[in-house]
Amino acid sequence: MIALAPRLRGAAPGARVLGAVLSRIGVAVAQIALVAVGVFALTALLPGDTAEVVLGEHADTGQVDALRRRLGLDEPLGTRFLDWAAGILHGDLGTSLRTGRPVVDEIAGNAATTVLLAVLTLLIVLPLALWLGARSGLRAGSRFDRSVNFAVVLLNSVPEFALALLLVGVFSVQAGWLPATAAGLSGWSLAAEPAVLVLPVAVLVAKQLSALARQVRAGVVVANSAEFATHARRAGLGARAVVLRHVLPNAIGPVLQQLGRTVDGLLGGVVVVEALFALDGLGSGFVEAVRARDLPAVQGYALLFAAVTIGVNAVVDLAARRFRAGAR
Amino acid sequence: MSGVLGRRRLLAGVAGAFAAVPLVSCSGGSGSSPGRLRVAFPAGGATESLDPHTGSLFVDQARAKALFDTLVGYADDMSVVPRLAEWWQPDPTGTRWRIRLRPAKFHDGRPVTAEDVLYTYRRIADDSTAAQASAHFGDVDFAASTAISATELELVLGAPNFEFPAAWGAPATEIVPAGTTDFTAPVGSGPFRFVSFEPGKPAVFARFDDHWSGPATPAELEFVPMEEESARVNALLSGQVDYAHDVSANSVRLLEQGGRARVHSAPFGTMQSLLLKVDRPPFSDPRLVRAVRAGLDRRALLDIALSGQGRIGNDLFGAGLRFYPAGLPEPVRDPELARSLLREARADGLGWELQTSSVDPYFESAASLISQQLGDIGMRVTPRVGPSETYFSDIKEHGVASLSRTAALPVPTFLGQRMTSDAGGNNYTGYRSAEFDALHAEALSTADEHRRAALLARAQRLSREHSGMVVWGFSGWNVATSDQVSGVRGAPPNSLDWARFDRVSVG
Repeated sequence: MIALAPRLRGAAPGARVLGAVLSRIGVAVAQIALVAVGVFALTALLPGDTAEVVLGEHADTGQVDALRRRLGLDEPLGTRFLDWAAGILHGDLGTSLRTGRPVVDEIAGNAATTVLLAVLTLLIVLPLALWLGARSGLRAGSRFDRSVNFAVVLLNSVPEFALALLLVGVFSVQAGWLPATAAGLSGWSLAAEPAVLVLPVAVLVAKQLSALARQVRAGVVVANSAEFATHARRAGLGARAVVLRHVLPNAIGPVLQQLGRTVDGLLGGVVVVEALFALDGLGSGFVEAVRARDLPAVQGYALLFAAVTIGVNAVVDLAARRFRAGAR
Repeated sequence: MSGVLGRRRLLAGVAGAFAAVPLVSCSGGSGSSPGRLRVAFPAGGATESLDPHTGSLFVDQARAKALFDTLVGYADDMSVVPRLAEWWQPDPTGTRWRIRLRPAKFHDGRPVTAEDVLYTYRRIADDSTAAQASAHFGDVDFAASTAISATELELVLGAPNFEFPAAWGAPATEIVPAGTTDFTAPVGSGPFRFVSFEPGKPAVFARFDDHWSGPATPAELEFVPMEEESARVNALLSGQVDYAHDVSANSVRLLEQGGRARVHSAPFGTMQSLLLKVDRPPFSDPRLVRAVRAGLDRRALLDIALSGQGRIGNDLFGAGLRFYPAGLPEPVRDPELARSLLREARADGLGWELQTSSVDPYFESAASLISQQLGDIGMRVTPRVGPSETYFSDIKEHGVASLSRTAALPVPTFLGQRMTSDAGGNNYTGYRSAEFDALHAEALSTADEHRRAALLARAQRLSREHSGMVVWGFSGWNVATSDQVSGVRGAPPNSLDWARFDRVSVG
């Protein structure tokens, strides 16, 4: 996890917050830049290049060299990196070596599916994790608590691909209730066939629920036994009000941090889920770009993933800080 | 077997556990309409195009076959059968070929003419097209080739080639209307016409009622891209698609048990080979090549690496195809001979790396089995897994030994493009033999088919001993259909009946 920016002590509260936000954004931008350089270097180290992949099995060396020149792959790596970095500063992620289309368009074309999957998953995971976690935490050690713990650990321990194949085997192939794949659908047209999304979202939910629910539970257990909760109860506040007004807000900081990791996990999970359900999202696009050694496209995807991950974590850090401050 | 049963029982158990969860019922298929045949293929993503001459994936060829026609097609043994060309004849020298076309129409109503054929072959031969089949037409003298009439043309070759018609049926040689440069909404003369397509997305084609062989059975044909084999199998089992291309030997068992799908196999689909580079040490010593050949247990490789789905190879390409020499002795494992050859070459304990990758599902188990088998005779073989994307260019340049595979092709084509001295990098083993080259060239310039066959057989026997290409097996080639589909049979890739959908019906 990312260290919080140093507090600006002595400044006025407003300025202090602004300073923290600005310095957190600065850290995030530096992190994204580092990822960009790292991914560029790593992709360049992969064996083979676009020219070889595009021309395939039967091309001779002359053809490969000609295409390499046409794509500018004969330029030194440093030059290519500087060109690319200069483009980014102008909002231009470059042109795909495979298709000749702008990388931005390629990514945008694949974003709809992934956004749909991620948003649906979060909409289910968040309330479910809060409810399960809070209920378990308030009744720590009860049968409910133990069953929930057992179930989420079990779900979390099955790899995504195995869970996906299992669900497809049961609900599509055997029972015939749900479609096995998103055959023939793509982008927003998926929304018109919601049945297609049930199994992929179920896999993603199953994988992300566990950590978040258990984090909520842990926070609630701690907060519930804390002095202020005992005090509130002693003061005659109803159990429900104690939980909603005092316990949950105090448990929320670490939960937010965990939420950041949930988003990271979702980005990883969609790669597997999209492949197994024949969905054309960012995960599939990224894998395809790596396969084709399409450096600008790989960079574009990596940059997007890094920006989302780092951005979400930065927001979460700031929000968690806010909640911690509130508890004081 | 027990694995499948185990999985089924597990599935049933999980089904019980989930039974309490209420679920929305659905038809299973998404937007399936009557008369539409839906076929699932691994696809090429954003690079895909409908240009029939530049695609190299199976899905490119299958789409090209639906939209366009070739002059000839290949039967299962890779002999040529007429398609757009209804008659052809070489002059006595084998350098001038006359071709007459049958009456056929493009989708826009124009007739298919000799000019279209000339334009197409010129385009394929042009280096700037980067066409897959360019080597087939490299020897054509286009300045001298002419259209004699609207339906008759003459192609002139720089050197005699009585096997030239094989070029007209090669993958990616489909005839396009003269002048075509844009393939976003292509016009062809195939059994289906273009409706919609976007790279990496499904493609929809509709029946072309004026096709010369009569209208196709399905009203519509939809290509659905599915990279993952398990997705294709599941989509087939749950009724989302009617046809799944390229199904692994493992899934064959599962599909055959279920009873809801049918598997169609071509037993000699793909040659599986171990390529030893004979132009560099250690395999420049022919005794070591012979030791490897004698040390392999091909039966075990077939049973384990290919799950028993295929045939044993005899160190030659093209088992089951026209011009494959009959009567060669069966390969038998002889560890004693192998060890004595090693000792004779003073190479006991010789270590080498075997390049492999996941580009073919059978490579990795074959690699570990081969290293075990050769370990028994005293070679230390280390499998080295490379990236699948650039595998074939890597093994051309680097290393001394690799696993490779080749789909069915006419035997003379394979020999000319992979084994001759001027095959360049495509001669993966670096085999150079003036005697082989002479035999091959003489065969092509021989009008008498029996004599040609005898010459090709001599060339193949020669290359079998010296080329370093150790063909240990032929993997079966499987596709699967739902039990509602008829008109599909197991045909080797590249043949006319492979991925052919105009005579397929559903229901």
